[in-house]
Amino acid sequence: MPDTRPLTEAQEGLWYAQALDPANPILNTGQYLDLRGPVDPDALRLALTRTLAETEALRLRFRQGPHGPEQWLDPAPITPSVVNATGPEALAMMRADSGRALDLARDPAAAFTIFILPDRVLVYERIHHLAIDGYGMVLLTNRIGEHYSAIVTGGPAPLPFPPLDRAHEEDAAYRASDKREADAAWWRDWLRDLPEVTGPAIGTAVSARHFLRESRWLDGNLLARLAAFADAHDLNWPDVLTGLAGAYLARWTGGCAVIGVPFMARMGRRIARLPCMAMNVLPQRIALDEDAPVSDCLAALARDMAQARRHGLYRSEQLRRDLGLVGGARRLYGPLVNVQPFDRAPRFAGLQVDLHILGAGAVDDLTLTFRGDPQAGLLFEVDANPNLYSPQDVAGHAARLPDFIAAALVAATLAQVPTASRAEIAAAAAVNATDHPVPDTTLVALIEAQMAATPDAPAVTFGNATISFADLNRRSAALSAHLATLGAGPGRIVAVALDRSLDLPVVLLAILRAGAAYLPLDPDHPPERIARILAMAQPVAVVTQPDLAGLFPSDAPLLTEWPATGTPPTGPAPGDMAYVIYTSGSTGEPKGVVIDHRAIVNRLLWMRDHYGIDASDRILQKTPATFDVSVWEFFLPMIAGAELVMAPPGAHRDPSAIAALIRRHAITTLHFVPSMLSAFLAAPASDGIALRRVFCSGEELTADQRARFHRRIRAELHNLYGPTEAAVDVSFWPAGPDDASNPLPIGWPVWNTSLHVLDDRMRPVPPGLAGHLYLGGVQLARGYLGRDDLTAQRFVIGPDGARLYATGDLARRRHDGAVVYLGRSDHQVKIRGLRIELGEIEAAIMASGLVRECVVLAREDRAGDRRLVAYLVPSDAWAEGLLARHLSATLPAYMLPGAEVLLDALPVTANGKLDRKALPAPKVSVAGRDAETDAERLLARLYAEVLHLPQVPGTQADFFALGGDSLSAVRLILRIEEETGRDPGLGTIFEHPVLGHLAAALGTARQDDGLNPLILLADGDPAAAPLFLIHPAGGIAWGYRHLARLIAPARRVWGIQHPGLDLTVPLPGSLDDLARDYAARIAAVADGPVHLAGWSVGGILAQATAIELAALGRRAGLVAALDSYPADVWRDEPEPDPVAALRALLAIAGHDPDAHRDLDTRPKVVAFLRAGDTALGALPEPVLDGVVRAVTDTNRLVRGHHHRRWTGTLTHIRAGLDHQDRDLRAAMWRPHAAWIEELSVPFLHPAMTSIEASALIAPMLAARMDQAAAKGSASGRDPAMVSM
Amino acid sequence: MTLTLDRMRADVARAIHMDPSDIRDDDHLGDLGLDSLRLMRLVLAWEEAGLTANFSLFAEYETLGDWWTHIVAPDADA
Repeated sequence: MPDTRPLTEAQEGLWYAQALDPANPILNTGQYLDLRGPVDPDALRLALTRTLAETEALRLRFRQGPHGPEQWLDPAPITPSVVNATGPEALAMMRADSGRALDLARDPAAAFTIFILPDRVLVYERIHHLAIDGYGMVLLTNRIGEHYSAIVTGGPAPLPFPPLDRAHEEDAAYRASDKREADAAWWRDWLRDLPEVTGPAIGTAVSARHFLRESRWLDGNLLARLAAFADAHDLNWPDVLTGLAGAYLARWTGGCAVIGVPFMARMGRRIARLPCMAMNVLPQRIALDEDAPVSDCLAALARDMAQARRHGLYRSEQLRRDLGLVGGARRLYGPLVNVQPFDRAPRFAGLQVDLHILGAGAVDDLTLTFRGDPQAGLLFEVDANPNLYSPQDVAGHAARLPDFIAAALVAATLAQVPTASRAEIAAAAAVNATDHPVPDTTLVALIEAQMAATPDAPAVTFGNATISFADLNRRSAALSAHLATLGAGPGRIVAVALDRSLDLPVVLLAILRAGAAYLPLDPDHPPERIARILAMAQPVAVVTQPDLAGLFPSDAPLLTEWPATGTPPTGPAPGDMAYVIYTSGSTGEPKGVVIDHRAIVNRLLWMRDHYGIDASDRILQKTPATFDVSVWEFFLPMIAGAELVMAPPGAHRDPSAIAALIRRHAITTLHFVPSMLSAFLAAPASDGIALRRVFCSGEELTADQRARFHRRIRAELHNLYGPTEAAVDVSFWPAGPDDASNPLPIGWPVWNTSLHVLDDRMRPVPPGLAGHLYLGGVQLARGYLGRDDLTAQRFVIGPDGARLYATGDLARRRHDGAVVYLGRSDHQVKIRGLRIELGEIEAAIMASGLVRECVVLAREDRAGDRRLVAYLVPSDAWAEGLLARHLSATLPAYMLPGAEVLLDALPVTANGKLDRKALPAPKVSVAGRDAETDAERLLARLYAEVLHLPQVPGTQADFFALGGDSLSAVRLILRIEEETGRDPGLGTIFEHPVLGHLAAALGTARQDDGLNPLILLADGDPAAAPLFLIHPAGGIAWGYRHLARLIAPARRVWGIQHPGLDLTVPLPGSLDDLARDYAARIAAVADGPVHLAGWSVGGILAQATAIELAALGRRAGLVAALDSYPADVWRDEPEPDPVAALRALLAIAGHDPDAHRDLDTRPKVVAFLRAGDTALGALPEPVLDGVVRAVTDTNRLVRGHHHRRWTGTLTHIRAGLDHQDRDLRAAMWRPHAAWIEELSVPFLHPAMTSIEASALIAPMLAARMDQAAAKGSASGRDPAMVSM
Repeated sequence: MTLTLDRMRADVARAIHMDPSDIRDDDHLGDLGLDSLRLMRLVLAWEEAGLTANFSLFAEYETLGDWWTHIVAPDADA
């Protein structure tokens, strides 16, 4: 047996890093010397042999022992090989060797090769990081040169290296010292309030198996400047470099950064000249005062770093554990900044020597290394994790940082130094060089010219009616003349409130021809909002239809009739306003955006020319006039001679109606908001549509939508971007089938327009860095009507003196200059396409009087699951559930917070601002449900055993949160292997520290096919009454997953599935039998009150189950039916045969069975489902049999079912867009419940469980469940009884 | 050999902005603010004064007294 020793603390961290990914070769540190001149090969070999013989660390071997990792010295010496090769061959061999992961127990930790090249000699050194660190490598490499020089000059041999024992003695001494405790305390105090650490790139910073590198020598001027600056301010030049590199990195992470500073940890220690692994990485917070003199803020940072070095023996891995930053994505520091003044080429007597570093260990994020010194030269290397950075990113940093440092060394303050380099600023300006000649004219002049040119061509079509350009000319002229008599003219406003019709475009054109600006009003808006807008805008007339007259204040100047003939007045000038569109303001007060003719003419002529729109086009008008996309829909056809096709009112929300319009009118061009495009693509009716082009704007267009679009539709797809404040759109991106960009850019500026990405101080940012998007150019709005204050806030003067609009959007440039939209920078958020002002929700919460302070965030704690969370400091009046009730009465459903978090006070930063990062994620409950599967129970036992827990943890227990560390993780792995015979690998634990997730990952869980009668759809607060969602006809409850995730974690959400999915289970005798079975199952898993809901047949079952629960003495709070109708409605319908049942599956999977009449056999239906992306298509055959059986049988049960009366409230949510052919209404339930609450959502029946519908339904249900709880606790009585 | 303990003390004091009389033979120089880069500059200057020991050797010790006893005095004797 070899004489083994435990690892030193310095080595332990690396051991675990390697154990996480044993096949990763990145911890092979390697370099080579390039020797030129009269090399003496024998002396070189002897020098190398002597050096290897005196360096014990090279003979280390490592393994996992019974008490943790251990090491020993292999007695065999390391001997160098000598190889004759060409330069490229030698390099390839070095890379192959460095790229091979070692088996640390069997392979020597080090290898050395002398490559004899025709013209020179290379000495390759490769040593695993566990055996040596960077400074150890310097000692070793210098030693080769010292031996060589001594041999060829006959000088004295160098003083031998000390024994490796010293490393262990130093380690033991520090471990046992009081200093270690004191250092630990110092660090914990020093890093108190450490912000969440991130790097410049988004993603998980775990080293890949290789890294990207760009290196360059810093130029002489920079070095001279650096040396002079350091001398002038009495700073060490490495501190200056570290500080400025840190300042640069902080620009990438919101002004603050935590960088890692490698520390050699040798000064004053007896290992100072011992080749071994001793280095540490010290976290250094960078939060420089950019307004202070550069030297002052660097001096302050140098003092901080000097202090940290004094406590620098305390291991950063231990610190990470102390601070609970182990596992997952939690980090102690971001990029590394490594200044290595000692790392220079060694001296070999008589030879010229260059040093080349191949690899220096893991590259988790970004490692910025400076080797050498200002006198001898500084090599700057950017090493980057290829999982986080592209080669262009790396090249960008390598070129930009020296520029930044050079600029900072001569700047008065860092505030004056932009992050973008001069070259990058010039490149952005080139992208913005969009000058294009556009006639200085008006929309009216352009349209009048077109009307005169093609009087007989069709201008506007609505339904079966079409008018020509001559008609359009005559009708609009008549109204414009009349409007002029009412006072309309340049500088005046005429409001319009009309449903889509043949009249609407005529009226808009007439207002423009009168010289006035039109102001669209949405008849669906509350009268109060309309009245406010009218009061602000003071229109000379409101053109509307008689049935809408009730929307307006009694003194509004309504106009519903006008003469059929008349001569238009002179009309507007290019600088006159063309339209005023009101947008939601952050204060809740609508803001009227004023756009003049010059701006919109630029936008429309750009679009006409850029996309080649002409008289052969037919453009669909389906966007409400209050949304500025409608502006090009209305007027682009009028200036291009194309046909404007008006969709019927309401059709814009109905994918089938849109598809029918496209086909019927041979539409060539139309617009979608991306979420509506998604719905359109999912609708059966859109299959096979072909047209010329589709434009998207208003929301982020995703790569997934682009792919789905091109799979289904033959047309160009274009992504446009622009706020109302800049004449509809200011940028474009062709999203063709070959476009692979993800995210999909908003792209390039349109004519005479510029896009600027600037930071908080309005300095240009480089490609890759997020900034605020500003717009410039001819399309900018004049401002906000009557609100010079708001206009001054958003329309500002840019760095180069031009007028810019601050969009409030975040963006970054790609390396090719295209702009990518990143989201809103202010408090306006979009959830599922709906723009929400968080301030408006906050105002409603404050108005309740239930809280003293509050803040609302849109959080995305689970990927793809964005929801509103309200953080509240409650007042004395606060009580559980009251706020939700108050809010549901005052806010639209989509604005209701999905979770409330109570706080004693809102967290604030040092300068008193709200600290959003410190707001916690809503808690699910720390431990979660108890372990249930075998794997979960095993893991619960092992977690408790390994972590010495007083009790077995639940499934939500996080191994690291419970005190686990790398060492105990290895113990856990060993125990799992003992118990199961399988080694899951340490990486699995780090990836899935949560017990339940780990159990799933182990794959040893009992085979769960998801078809049990009870499935937990989403976990949540076990103390709150759970919601049970009962399956529709197909028997499967998975379709409720969106709804469930939107309701959890306020409560658990269970799905109830038909037991007959299992073919061995006999079918129930009646629907009441089935309901009785469900009631028993519910009673078995839930103690207190419960809530029930179901879609379609599920609603019938929910009502019956509520009655059965009552018979068991159990209370059902909410009983909700999602577009369900009583059995009486179905009784006379023919029973479906097996094929009809199969076709019912189509409906369950979200398809329209009538659109697929060809699917008339089981194989056809199955093949169709398998080709789609629904869960049903993935079911194994026997399960599909179970589903068919459930569908058939459930239909039978429904027909035989006679409702008993439910003595409580039945909440009914109707699919508001459906039931055109049959009048199904909530009122049909009246005989079967004491009270019917009637609600509606704008969806078709099959879409009721879609994510979009769930977004509306979830808050409806949540509010009622909260109310039930509040009533229950307030009165102690059954809420069903209260409402009787 | 012109290197003396007092010269070393004066050089160290200048590097870390202290008065030589405030640096005792057994003070921990790292705690007083002497870092590796400043030490390297000192050792380079001392090499010019005839010292043959290298920087790494100095780094093994943390006080002026140890430097003198373990490095400079034996070096002068050699």
